[in-house]
Amino acid sequence: RSCILVSIGGKNIMLDCGMHMGYNDDRRFPDFSYITQNGRLTDFLDCVIISHFHLDHCGALPFMSEMVGYDGPIYMTHPTKAICPILLEDFRKITVDKKGETNFFTSQMIKDCMKKVVPLNLHQTVQVDDELEIKAYYAGHVLGAAMVHIKVGSESVVYTGDYNMTPDRHLGAAWIDKCRPDILISESTYATTIRDSKRCRERDFLKKVHESIERGGKVLIPVFALGRAQELCILLETFWERMNLKAPIYFSTGLTEKANHYYKLFITWTNQKIRKTFVQRNMFEFKHIKAFDRSYADNPGPMVVFATPGMLHAGQSLQIFKKWAGNEKNMVIMPGYCVQGTIGHKILNGQRKLEMEGRSTLDVKLQVEYMSFSAHADAKGIMQLIRMAEPRNMLLVHGEAVKMEFLKGKIEQEFSIDCYMPANGETVTVTTNPSVPVDISLNLLKREMALGGPLPDPKKPRTMHGTLIMKENSLKLVSSEQALKELGLNEHQLRFTCRVQLQDPHSDTDTLHRIYTHLKSVLKGYTIQHLPDGTVMVESIVIKVSSSTEDPNTKVLLLSWSYQFGSDLYCLKRGFFF
Amino acid sequence: VENLGEVSILKASSGFVSTNICLWLLNAVHQPGSHCVCLLLSRYKDLHVYQLEHPTQVIEWTSGKTVCVAGFTSSKNEILELRLPLKLFADENKGLCAERDFKVVHGGFTDAPVRCLRHIPGTRCVVTNDGLSSDLQVWDLGGDDSDVIRRTGSVDGSRGVSEGGSRIAARLSSQPQVLHGAESAGVRLTQLTSGQTVYTLETDSADPLSSLHFVSDAVFLAGCSNGKVYIADTRTSAAPQLSPPPPSSGESVLWWTDASAGPSCLDPSSCRIVRLSSCGQTVISDLRNPGGAVSRAQLDVQTRRCNADDVRVSWAPALDDCIAVSGFSGAVQIYSSSVWTTELQEAQPLFEHRGHAVSSQSDDGVPVFVTSHVWHPERPRTLLSAASDGSVHVWDWVDQSAAGC
Repeated sequence: RSCILVSIGGKNIMLDCGMHMGYNDDRRFPDFSYITQNGRLTDFLDCVIISHFHLDHCGALPFMSEMVGYDGPIYMTHPTKAICPILLEDFRKITVDKKGETNFFTSQMIKDCMKKVVPLNLHQTVQVDDELEIKAYYAGHVLGAAMVHIKVGSESVVYTGDYNMTPDRHLGAAWIDKCRPDILISESTYATTIRDSKRCRERDFLKKVHESIERGGKVLIPVFALGRAQELCILLETFWERMNLKAPIYFSTGLTEKANHYYKLFITWTNQKIRKTFVQRNMFEFKHIKAFDRSYADNPGPMVVFATPGMLHAGQSLQIFKKWAGNEKNMVIMPGYCVQGTIGHKILNGQRKLEMEGRSTLDVKLQVEYMSFSAHADAKGIMQLIRMAEPRNMLLVHGEAVKMEFLKGKIEQEFSIDCYMPANGETVTVTTNPSVPVDISLNLLKREMALGGPLPDPKKPRTMHGTLIMKENSLKLVSSEQALKELGLNEHQLRFTCRVQLQDPHSDTDTLHRIYTHLKSVLKGYTIQHLPDGTVMVESIVIKVSSSTEDPNTKVLLLSWSYQFGSDLYCLKRGFFF
Repeated sequence: VENLGEVSILKASSGFVSTNICLWLLNAVHQPGSHCVCLLLSRYKDLHVYQLEHPTQVIEWTSGKTVCVAGFTSSKNEILELRLPLKLFADENKGLCAERDFKVVHGGFTDAPVRCLRHIPGTRCVVTNDGLSSDLQVWDLGGDDSDVIRRTGSVDGSRGVSEGGSRIAARLSSQPQVLHGAESAGVRLTQLTSGQTVYTLETDSADPLSSLHFVSDAVFLAGCSNGKVYIADTRTSAAPQLSPPPPSSGESVLWWTDASAGPSCLDPSSCRIVRLSSCGQTVISDLRNPGGAVSRAQLDVQTRRCNADDVRVSWAPALDDCIAVSGFSGAVQIYSSSVWTTELQEAQPLFEHRGHAVSSQSDDGVPVFVTSHVWHPERPRTLLSAASDGSVHVWDWVDQSAAGC
């Protein structure tokens, strides 16, 4: 499950709130005690951001907001907001109604949770409060999936959620600008894989469908209304045309309506090709694919049917499955993950006898095929994303450290950035170099300019002398005099003195003159003056000579310098050494 | 359908526009000899297509399910140990396994190109050569506790070799040993742990090598680029047997060799040698009579260009009389030598894998060519092939002549 807590610039953000699909007990929920041991989370979180509608990213959201308690804003893209509640409700029905679980959220809780959602548009900066801002980027992967850029002051984090770098048939590839975040957080589950091409997956799909049709079998493809269903339809339509196949292909009407509805709403989220065709004509005007009527399931001969829901847990796809399961010539192709408790999950685990309602058993004789079409970034994709965003540090989550050393080394070598791989429950602290904006007084600026030299430049910092005043959340740099004036303080000057003894039989004046001549010859480039009041000045260091009272051959040099001029003192020491 | 190799725009009569769909399906229709459209999907039992970040010239088995690949650019390169997709091996429950991807199980970095890579059987060790000198680099692939491939040492090659890199061979032995050399004079068998040379091949002339093969624990073949094959026994200091190059036209002809283990690896004389020339001429000899020829054929390879580094010829380990050839173009060809005779005749491939050329990723107009291929040691028709555009394919081909259709 994905659920990441980020503290940045004093703000706390929760990234995703997923359910672990492998557990049946409370371990499936994220452990919110990391935030607080008891009580609601509202005071501890500034916002929650959900990357996309997959249950391992949003499945625990209603539990968090309604059962643990959170009333702040929940950000997600428009498509995610539309699709999330449907999947959550489906999931709830399966878990509670079918499996009879009790510690779970209700339908009302899902509704209440969604009321807290603030939708996001792509590339639009949203001010969560006057310090925290967020921006969503296109992630590909599924409809509405986003990568999020979070910024507080000059520090920022980008969280990728799930993304892919190669365009799909119905989705584009993830894209982000050179935003240079301090940390880029990415999943590492697929980081050590190299993906088999889309063509081969599609070939496999077509081969399986073709083989079943050829032997007179029926093929059931349970799908969710969106996404893969369109891709597979396009694929079959083209294949049927090329191969001149006659067997009918159907899709259930529920599918069309939902699909068309969603596509009309979210057309900007699909890729160029789909958009073009949708604009030209209706998504579902196929030559070889027709609307399904439930009576067709009993027709003899081969056919292909797309039906909802996707996990065979209820509705039309389950009805058709029950009719066709007993014939080994038939086939069911599962194009995605199935939640525990569903028939889809059971048959994908090899179960061949199913218990149905009313104590009847169903013998599963048809061929079961599991095909994964979901798009994830692999090792190459992660490198591409890092190249795009140019983060200062990399954080990989959900991998085993021992299996990620090579990738960590690769990232560190190629980009010269640190790569962290924290385990669940571990905290990583990343040091950043935030730039602190400070106002500078005009006087001070003018004074610095008068000193000459190159103009200040981000690539060539310049040291300057001033006083930093922090007053009511603002920072300003002023000259020392102005600062003292503002603070109502008197300026004090510190002067240091030191006595050096010298053996010299000459008169005081002669000794002083000899010192002057010597320093002038040795310390070229420094201002050395012999003043009429009987002192020598090296820059601002004053030298006076007087004879020791006990012994006239012992001269005492009195050196005096003011606090700032350490470098002048150094040069003088050199001079004396010579 | 527009030109082969370009993006095909297919318009269904409903006005639908879809791009780039199933190029191979469409191409397969135009293949010579394929008159039956129903063969389109039945050419391969399994097919997996991958894109590495950088092309590889080496594919080497490190176990029944893992291979090593490595880059060959002049600066920094990666060595990767990849696990083949689980779906390939899930024979009974293939349908329930959706896992189609390569898994990078171990990876490491090297500062030089990798031109030759050999796994030492019985160990987690591989040995590489950069093609610039005859020295070898020794690597530890790592176990479960780390996924980093680390350099553990080196093996000196023969001094005085002016150009070209070493060929490497290894077989299972109680003490890990590696056979290596760039020329016939100076092939050494080196003990990996001690660095000691336990055997050196001495030949009258120093012929540049194109390959080294063990045919048994002690007997090995040194295949030279000029067509000579030396047969030596590491147990004796006797001079090696020499099989002279087959008669051929032109001095600039290069030869590549492979040796089959034969039906019984206890009897090296039942082993056969195949020699392939840069003109496509192929000669098969028996180790019992290395100077003679059992059969010959003129293969259908494009002889316009061939990079000496890329040509590979190999016997199928689990199929009788099958030979795979690659490096002349973007295809891997499978020939059955059972029908060949002692007369030089043209032979047609039993199967041609054109996937690399057809689905080429390179867009600068430079034609793609296959850089390497290997057979799976046990699965009869499974091969891996790699090409100059970084693609790596895993394919299980269907013998069309047996399928009939």
